[in-house]
Amino acid sequence: MTIWWLVLILAALGSVGIAFIWLAVNVSGGKPKAKDAPNSYEEAAEQDVEHIFNEDFREELRNRGRLHFEKIIGENAMFLQQDLRLTTSQLNEYMKTEITRKLKEEFDKYEQSIMDAKQLAIESIQKTNAVIDEQRQQLSDQVQKEIVTEKQQLLQHFEQNMADIVNHYVLAAIGNQIDLTDQLEYILTDLEANKQAIIEDIQHGA
Amino acid sequence: MAREQALVLPVLVASPVDVGRLQRELAAIDEVLVQLALRQGGSETKMPKTSHLMDQIVSDNQLNLLQEADRKKLAEFLELVKTKAPVLHMSFGADPSVGFMEKLMAWLRQNISPYVLVTVGLQPNIGAGCIVRSTNRQFDLSLRQDFLNKRDLLMNKIIGGQAEVTA
Repeated sequence: MTIWWLVLILAALGSVGIAFIWLAVNVSGGKPKAKDAPNSYEEAAEQDVEHIFNEDFREELRNRGRLHFEKIIGENAMFLQQDLRLTTSQLNEYMKTEITRKLKEEFDKYEQSIMDAKQLAIESIQKTNAVIDEQRQQLSDQVQKEIVTEKQQLLQHFEQNMADIVNHYVLAAIGNQIDLTDQLEYILTDLEANKQAIIEDIQHGA
Repeated sequence: MAREQALVLPVLVASPVDVGRLQRELAAIDEVLVQLALRQGGSETKMPKTSHLMDQIVSDNQLNLLQEADRKKLAEFLELVKTKAPVLHMSFGADPSVGFMEKLMAWLRQNISPYVLVTVGLQPNIGAGCIVRSTNRQFDLSLRQDFLNKRDLLMNKIIGGQAEVTA
C-alpha cells in the first residue's frame, strides 16, 4: 500500500511541475494580438500597457516568476525529499518487517521440519532400540539356556568321570593287594549266585 | 557222556590243553606198549615217564595202562571230554595259583558239571573277582563291574559329602 502512495505522490508532483512549466511558457511567450485595432483608445491603452509592461517590467516579472518557480520547485523538492525519505524509511521498515516475517515463517517451517525429522529419527531410534533390546533379550535367554545345558552336561560328564576316576583309583589301589586265594570265597559266592544261569547256558548252548 | 560215567576227571585236569597233553601222553604210552609187544625178547625197552596228571587220572579211575582195554577206555574218555565237555573261560586279575585252581575246579565240577574245563585268561584291570564266559553268555563277576553297578551309590556319597562340606 505504501508503494501506491508513493506512486500517487510522484504523479501529483509531476502534474504540478508540468502545470508550472506550462504557466511559465504562456506567461513569457504571450504577444499582443490587437496591434491593428482601429480604436485609438485601444491603441492608447496598448501603448500604456506597453509603457507599463515594458521590457524591464517584464524582465522583473520573469525574474519574480522564476524565483517563485524556483522557490516552489525548491519547496516541492524539499517535500519530495522528505516524502522520499519518509517513503524510503517506511519502505525500509516494510521491507524489514516483511523480510523478518518471511524469515520467521521460513525459520518456523524449517524448525518444524527439523522437529518432524527429529521426531521421526527419535521414533526410529526407539523402535530400533526396542528391536535390539528384544533381540538382545532373546540372545541372552538362548545363551543362558545353552550355558545351563552345557553346565549340566559338563557336570554330568564330571560326575561320570569322577566315578570312573574313583573306581579306577580304588581298583588300582587294591587290585594288586588282594591275593586270588583271598578272593576265592568272593568268587565262589558270585559263581553260586550265577550257577543256574551258567548251567542253563551250558546245557542249551551250541 | 553217560557211557563214560564211571571215569572221573581229576581237578588237576582243568583245561583243554591238559586234556590234549593227556591224550598225547596216552598215545605215546600206547605206542610204546605196542612196540614192546612186537619186539623180540631180550631187548630193552624204555617206558615213557608219566606225568602227575596221568598218574592222578589213572589212580582216580583205577586203570591199568598196561591193559589195552583200559588205555582204549581212557583214550575214548579223553576224546569225549575234549569234544563234548563244557568249557568255561575265566579271566582273573592275576595268574591263579595251583591251589586256587584246584579249589575252583572242585567247586565247578561239583556244582556246574563233573567234566567242565576252564581256560584261564588275564585281565589286570578288573581289580578283583573274575569274568566268566560260557558258550553264549558272559558273567562279569569282577569288582570293577560291582563298582559300576554301584556308581549311583558312589555319586550320592560324593555329592552328599560335597553338600556337607559346602554347608
